[in-house]
Amino acid sequence: MQSQTGLLTAPTVDASSTTKAPTFSSYGQPTNAYDEAFKEDRQPRPHWQDVLASVEKLGPEGRIASERRVQRILREDGATYNLSSDPLSPSVWELDLIPNIITSTDWSVIETGLKQRSALFDLIYKDLYGPQELLKNGTIPAEIIFGHPDFLRQCHNLTTPGQHDLLMHAVDLVRDKNGLFQVIGDRTQVPNGAGYALENRAVISRVFPILFRNNQVQRISSFFHAFKGMLSKLTSAWTDTPRIVVLTPGAYSSSYFEQAYQANYMGFPLVQGSDLTVRNGAVWMKSLNGLARVDVILRRVEDARCDQAELRADSMLGVPGLLEVARAGNVVIANPLGSGLLESPVLLKYLPAISQFLTGQQLALPSVPTWWAGDPMDLEYITNHINQLIIKPIARRADKKSIYGHTLDEKQCQETIEKIKKTPHLYVAQSYIPGAMSPIFDNGQLQAAPTMLRGFTMSDQDGYSVMPGGLSRVSQCDDDMIVSNLSKSKSKDTWVLSTQPLSNKVASNDQAILHDEAVQTNLPSRVVENLFWMGRYAERAEISMRLLRTLFKQMNGIDPLPIESRRLLLEMASRQTGCLPGFTKADDEMITNPDKELISIIIDNKRPGSVKANLHAMLNCGEQVKEMLSADTRIIINELRDHIHELDRAYTNGLPSAPEESLDSLVTSLLALSGLNHESMLRGLDWTFQEIGRRTERAIQTATLLRAALTKSLPEPEQQQILESVLLSVEALISFRRRYRNRSRVAYGLDLLMIDGTNPRSLIYQVDQLRKYIQELPRNDVPAAGLSPENRLVIKSLTDIQLADLEVIAAVDRTTNTRTELESLMTQLLEQLEQFTVLISDKYFDHTEGPQPLSMANWETSL
Amino acid sequence: MRYRVRHITTYTYGAPVSLCYNMAHLLPRDTHNQRCLNQRVQINPPPVYRNEGEDYFGNQTFYFSIQEAHKKLVIDVLSDFEIFPIDLTMWQQNNTTTCGQLRANLKMPMTPQMRMAKEFLMDSSQIRRSEELKAYAQSTFSDDKPLIKAALEFTHKIFTEFKFDPSTTTVATPLEQVLKQRSGVCQDFAHLAIGCLRSVGIPARYISGYLETLPPPGQEKLVGADASHAWFSIFVPELGWVEFDPTNDVMPNDQHIVTAWGRDYADVTPLQGVIFEGGGSQQLAVSVDVKRLL
Repeated sequence: MQSQTGLLTAPTVDASSTTKAPTFSSYGQPTNAYDEAFKEDRQPRPHWQDVLASVEKLGPEGRIASERRVQRILREDGATYNLSSDPLSPSVWELDLIPNIITSTDWSVIETGLKQRSALFDLIYKDLYGPQELLKNGTIPAEIIFGHPDFLRQCHNLTTPGQHDLLMHAVDLVRDKNGLFQVIGDRTQVPNGAGYALENRAVISRVFPILFRNNQVQRISSFFHAFKGMLSKLTSAWTDTPRIVVLTPGAYSSSYFEQAYQANYMGFPLVQGSDLTVRNGAVWMKSLNGLARVDVILRRVEDARCDQAELRADSMLGVPGLLEVARAGNVVIANPLGSGLLESPVLLKYLPAISQFLTGQQLALPSVPTWWAGDPMDLEYITNHINQLIIKPIARRADKKSIYGHTLDEKQCQETIEKIKKTPHLYVAQSYIPGAMSPIFDNGQLQAAPTMLRGFTMSDQDGYSVMPGGLSRVSQCDDDMIVSNLSKSKSKDTWVLSTQPLSNKVASNDQAILHDEAVQTNLPSRVVENLFWMGRYAERAEISMRLLRTLFKQMNGIDPLPIESRRLLLEMASRQTGCLPGFTKADDEMITNPDKELISIIIDNKRPGSVKANLHAMLNCGEQVKEMLSADTRIIINELRDHIHELDRAYTNGLPSAPEESLDSLVTSLLALSGLNHESMLRGLDWTFQEIGRRTERAIQTATLLRAALTKSLPEPEQQQILESVLLSVEALISFRRRYRNRSRVAYGLDLLMIDGTNPRSLIYQVDQLRKYIQELPRNDVPAAGLSPENRLVIKSLTDIQLADLEVIAAVDRTTNTRTELESLMTQLLEQLEQFTVLISDKYFDHTEGPQPLSMANWETSL
Repeated sequence: MRYRVRHITTYTYGAPVSLCYNMAHLLPRDTHNQRCLNQRVQINPPPVYRNEGEDYFGNQTFYFSIQEAHKKLVIDVLSDFEIFPIDLTMWQQNNTTTCGQLRANLKMPMTPQMRMAKEFLMDSSQIRRSEELKAYAQSTFSDDKPLIKAALEFTHKIFTEFKFDPSTTTVATPLEQVLKQRSGVCQDFAHLAIGCLRSVGIPARYISGYLETLPPPGQEKLVGADASHAWFSIFVPELGWVEFDPTNDVMPNDQHIVTAWGRDYADVTPLQGVIFEGGGSQQLAVSVDVKRLL
């Protein structure tokens, strides 16, 4: 153990001694709260000594370096929360360097309390959605439940196989000033945070491996393995190998990272409502191989939005018909629909009586004192003590925030009371318990911050088991209020200490970010569609940038560019990006001063086809399938985001001085991305579809480029300039010169760009790859005679290219001064390729329209 | 009295519907004086999944889903049942509970029935209590007046002050407007009455059902026959739920056939659900035939 003097002593607030440790200088003694780390004599508590000493030993630079490391790992893992719909600025999950440490003695109090609480909540669910004895005998005033927006009568008599209906439960705890734990809230419908706890553990155990090992911290990974085992057993009535999916509200839900992370960790596909469908009384996933039966749904979609047929018809997130499947017992939903009711803070007031009535037991862990404004006596109390209370709506809603009484002035107090009195039965008040202080790092300084702990339980054979750890959060606000949602707070890894040494075997489990099962098998077709489009957008962006780079080089070259070449190159930029009319209808003035339009082609993301729009679209597709991307891919995507920000900065005051260089790093990132796909992605269907997307797009872009550049015949040396620009933009100029010396004929260029099978950027290379890939696609339709239409299109395109007579194609029609054969061949290839993507998309991707409610208009107006 | 009810619902879509999921409240339930003898449901096209059940309020439900493309959906329900007459006069004479007593009881409920009745005292998705509704009913439900007597008066008040006119309302017309324009259909009258009753502190629930089509000889045919009908009931201590039909100014007896009850129409919608694709212009036709069996 470390020394307990000097730096390790936390000074009191008023200590003015110059010898005090700089690290802890701002760590004040809490006035009205328990201190997790220090005793009243300001000495560290024994279980904190090792951690504090180690953090101290790091020194200021070491601590800042460790903090940066934490942030870097989080960013690379893609750990975000509250992602806005802007793919460029996800907010990174915040994790403090110092863990929250809990002794085994304290933990056993929590563990006992949580086990009892979850068992009780399960019984409450069963009663309220069943016999309602709690209401009949008046334990809970009936109007609370009857008037509660989360009481879903459609879920009446809904049961889950096995002993429990409530399969998981999250509980928020704080320690009061006497050091006793109290429950301040419950999460039951989509209890989140467990995935973040897992990520926190993965990060901190990497940053402090030795400290972590020496402290005998209990592992949390076994909780997830047990959870998976528990879900798998629930379906034993009909299958031993259930398909379990995680139902997400989508890539832009605030905790999507956690959903994806947990899904990957446990090996479950991550699906959206539209990936699932109800048929023949069961739930199925729409996959590339057809419909695959789903047995368990671990949902992150709230109750009312899960089924458009019986619950909210306006939901965009649900699976129509789901509730009936659950009712018939053909799917398990964790947690069951309707469980949102149990989150209501009003239950805390009645919990002791409920426990007494349902189990005859007293609560091991008390809840925070709670009042219901619907009770006249409580309302009076609330009116008189509003400054000391937190006012909460009876139902948790994202748009309805709690009101902290102590932050209100006289007028606001009156207004709040008036508001409550209008609909008193919809409000609850709770005592305000600031929570125990624990040390956090903020800019290299140790600070004291109020702390809250979220614990997690899961159904188990003999009751409930508790994750030996949890999600600790500290408030960073100046007024010391605990923020009860996950945003605006910093999290901490939670170390529950063990009295016994832990075996190494278990220890290794925590470290690994497991992808222990091939998630690739049977992907939802939406995932594959996103990968397909990600490939296409990446390729589109890359080729536009390559052309623009070449254009800038030529325009800023040593020799002035003849006006004809200049005009054609600019027109090519417009045609390639599809930002039309652009330069295709430009007057001489615009050709002379093209900057404004060029800037727009690059950074106007509202313009479809612009470089930035393509990159955004690509990043969006990437967000949608985040769970499929490897850690290295995420690093490159982060870099790409940074480069896009740099691009914005470079273009704020017009074209930068060396515009061609502004695009270099973006092109490099895109190349790294496609290289990575080649080198480290398993050759599953996800890879194949991404490649099909890339190859098709590259073929389309190349044909577009050839048509735009070479249809018009120019005199020498302009013709040579254009040909070289084309070759330069597809990185073929050096090979071209080596092969053909100084003979720069268009036919030779076409040889290299169209029919040279050794050039990975030639047209034939792309189409030949497509021919190979489509052999690997699943054939889920009835085998028809002959080749499939998409196969036929590819072979036709391949033959068209192979049979092309380059001399004829390159020949110029003297009447129009254009290469008419070239133009028509490229146009034909483009049509075939577009048609090919339509066929692939129709065959493999889902195109079901959303559900619409059955009209009730005119019903009974005939009466 | 024995009845046979045939209720045919036909949806016609502008474009083929490929898939649908529906929850129906079309099968009449058993009540204290009504017993179902047998039932038959035919759906065309035939559903791939069908399941009968009971909802939260104890109503019979029928769930089905169709997976073949269809432009027309027909649900044909045939049910036979028996209704036993009640001696309503005795109820009216013997039950002396006053409005004031009921309100006091509800404030401090001593029995499970009284506590559970509160469900029908609160706002529901289509019925909100309001000062206007309260003002319309307040004088009728004064503290000292016997409950059943007051409800009869109130039923009569709606019957005389409101005009039956299907052209003036839709399923979405708010109660305040119905009250203002003094016209509507049976569903509006039932909702209005329930809204008023709840606003003056009397638990009330919505009932959907049918009326006998052919009147007994010498009697006039009741309004609402040949279609679904709606009325309401109030909670009377000792007796339970007692029904009133403001459209016809009667206390339903053995000519009213109950399908389902709930807080309002939304709880007992005859057919709810979603359809995929097609749809376009949806057209709905309902035909009801109620026959007395010998």
